[in-house]
Amino acid sequence: MIKKILSILMLISLLIVFSLASFEALENSNSFSKDFYIENTYKHTGSKNLVTGIYLDYRLFDSIFEASILLVSVTGIIFMSKRDDEVL
Amino acid sequence: MKPSHILASVCRVLFPFILIFGFYIIIHGHLSPGGGFQGGAILATAFLTTYFMNFKKITDLNFLIKIEKIFFLIILLIAMFSLITKGEVFTSFLSTNSELKPIFLITLNFFIGIKVASGLISIIATFIEEGRN
Repeated sequence: MIKKILSILMLISLLIVFSLASFEALENSNSFSKDFYIENTYKHTGSKNLVTGIYLDYRLFDSIFEASILLVSVTGIIFMSKRDDEVL
Repeated sequence: MKPSHILASVCRVLFPFILIFGFYIIIHGHLSPGGGFQGGAILATAFLTTYFMNFKKITDLNFLIKIEKIFFLIILLIAMFSLITKGEVFTSFLSTNSELKPIFLITLNFFIGIKVASGLISIIATFIEEGRN
């Protein structure tokens, strides 16, 4: 019973803090980078989809490591699931 | 799970359409929502449906892992190629004024899509093999 009350109190306080923070962010937001990408992405990268323009041109360094994370996780899963004499 | 003829026939009909949809998402990544990662996931689901058609199907894991490794190296090389043309790494290797800039996005999306698809297929195949034993 006490655990349930505590967890409900925790969830309510999380909700209050999160909503306060999001309203704060709405008031003090700065649209500089948004305007920059909307104006210049098609000129710089030739992509009509802003997301592709960002993750394959401006932030290509990040998406390469994002691709390498999948490679590492696949090798980890295969290494853990095989028995010792069957490892590739 | 018991094999069902209805499920197998429906999967046989759906399989080419899911493949076409995945390649469409990958190739049109620079024009519409989607891209390499999402299209690769759709291709992986297309190969997941082959397990409903043929229950004894075993995918060759060595081949998939080899494809994934080689394609990751190709992605790295394409990304590093701008060091020669522009003098800086990890950007497009075509100049900012050229009209052919989407070619860079299409090739990178294609390689990322095939890489993600082979990785997810090998994960699915490993889990199904483990569940069977």
